[in-house]
Amino acid sequence: MSSVWPLVITLGYVAITIVIGLKARAGHRMDTLEQWGVAGRSMGPVTLYLLIAAGSVSAYTFMGAPGWAYSKGVAVFYVAIYLAYLALVAWYFGPKVWQFGEQFGHVTQASAIADRYQSPALGALAALVMAVGSIAYAVLQTVGSAYILFVMSGGAIPIWLGVIIVLACIAVYLYISGQRAIGRTNAFQGALMLVVAWAVGLWAVHSATGGLDMGAVFERIQTDHAEFLTLPGARGDMSFSFWTTSIIVSMFSFMPPVWTQWMCASSARTIRRSATWLPTYYIVILPMVVVGFIGIYSLPGLARADTVVLEYAMANLPVVLVGLLGAGTLAASMSSSEPFIHSVALSTTKDVLQPLFKLSDAFTAKLARWLLLPIMALVIAPLAIAEPGSLVMILLVGLGFASQVLPAFIGMFFWPRASKLGVMAGIVAGFLVTVAFTTVWSHPLGIHAGFWGLMLNLPVFVAVSLITPATEASVVERFFRISAPRGLTRLGKGTLK
Amino acid sequence: MRRLFVLPTSRAGWGLLAAFICLVVAGTWPVIGLLNRAMLVFGIPLMIVWSYAIIFACVGVMLLGNRIVERDDHE
Repeated sequence: MSSVWPLVITLGYVAITIVIGLKARAGHRMDTLEQWGVAGRSMGPVTLYLLIAAGSVSAYTFMGAPGWAYSKGVAVFYVAIYLAYLALVAWYFGPKVWQFGEQFGHVTQASAIADRYQSPALGALAALVMAVGSIAYAVLQTVGSAYILFVMSGGAIPIWLGVIIVLACIAVYLYISGQRAIGRTNAFQGALMLVVAWAVGLWAVHSATGGLDMGAVFERIQTDHAEFLTLPGARGDMSFSFWTTSIIVSMFSFMPPVWTQWMCASSARTIRRSATWLPTYYIVILPMVVVGFIGIYSLPGLARADTVVLEYAMANLPVVLVGLLGAGTLAASMSSSEPFIHSVALSTTKDVLQPLFKLSDAFTAKLARWLLLPIMALVIAPLAIAEPGSLVMILLVGLGFASQVLPAFIGMFFWPRASKLGVMAGIVAGFLVTVAFTTVWSHPLGIHAGFWGLMLNLPVFVAVSLITPATEASVVERFFRISAPRGLTRLGKGTLK
Repeated sequence: MRRLFVLPTSRAGWGLLAAFICLVVAGTWPVIGLLNRAMLVFGIPLMIVWSYAIIFACVGVMLLGNRIVERDDHE
């Protein structure tokens, strides 16, 4: 690519994001976790909508999803469906999590787990293992960001330099403005992604068909490549069972940054309002996926399916749109990586280091901000530059673990009898199965490894909970006054106030 | 305490739970298998139309849920 405009536009986006991130602090002191961690629980419905939406729409939407459409077809839409289900999850659980945070002072998911089960060890375990998945996710997004800079600069910015540039930008505004920076930058990135996705998608449709009717693209696919319009997809690897279990496992993966984002809301009602409209944002996926479908017949034989949009744009779109695509893709990857990086620093300090070394709240808040730097410089940057082949495996195992923490939430929202040992036993059993069925025997019978994990996890959790001591009644009562404001139901009998 | 569980306490609450379950069923097997055809609806593949129908149905159910929650004042 000979024009400098794509790089100029992409770097212009980076500069605007830094300014927004730095200004997000707006005179607030960042010396407490209440401010740096959850933005003083101050976010309104629009910011929260864009924060959660942009956080969930990663580089996957701009690269991976069109790549899936290009290589498999409509199978890619399992992502759109589970994202909509995550909004249902946010609608139900988000307001209760917000109330826990507001009344009990939690700023992280692991703090809530430690409090519910009166076990700092369980909180630390949850924080550490969730950190594995979170770091793998942040690394993948950072690699995506660096790749965009590499392409937009025509190879002048090598991957290692791109990694450093992106992480340095994020580090500056995350350190200065914390969660407020994530809220403001994600709002900007979310709006940018929506505009860019539709602009690029419609332009691509026009260049491929001479009009703006996506139907012309699909008519051609139906005639020549009908296998892309049904499951199990063109490669035959998305069975009904894998579709279904992937959706269920993803739906029950309560990732820590999302939990923290719920606690940033200004009220419980704000979360409910944002969650209600959240699925509408996922129309962002459609135009990008359509470009993937166009690639099936216009760019056959690509070595890397996830480059289909970039390849098509560079061959057919004006340089300004290519630049905007670079900015949009970079926005998608940065908006997803920064909440995970922030969450790892926050939770490691609050839930592991503070109880371990009996640190004061003031020192913990200071340490959380500083911890960002070694996490980025010593963990994320080297991993992103090395691009280890096992990274996707680490991510899959990490996400598989996230769904295995489900018993902790069942005990927080539905079943007061859940015990600390029951949760631990369930998590360990489920995690071992998930690891085995991800690494050794991948997704047996076409069922997601995390689903196999849950099938062992849940019975173990119930059985061990029933034979081990329950959490102190006053703690359980405190939680269930929020989880069940109208009382609990005795199975087989009436409501207990 | 072992038999205590959080369940809906009103007819509207049960209706909402049923609607949530219907949405999840609509996006998974066996319902998704019934729609697994290489046909176009308004020029768009049936699976994509169905996916967006579920997405917008989720918004509709949550809007209904907001009315119930705010009417019954359960924050």
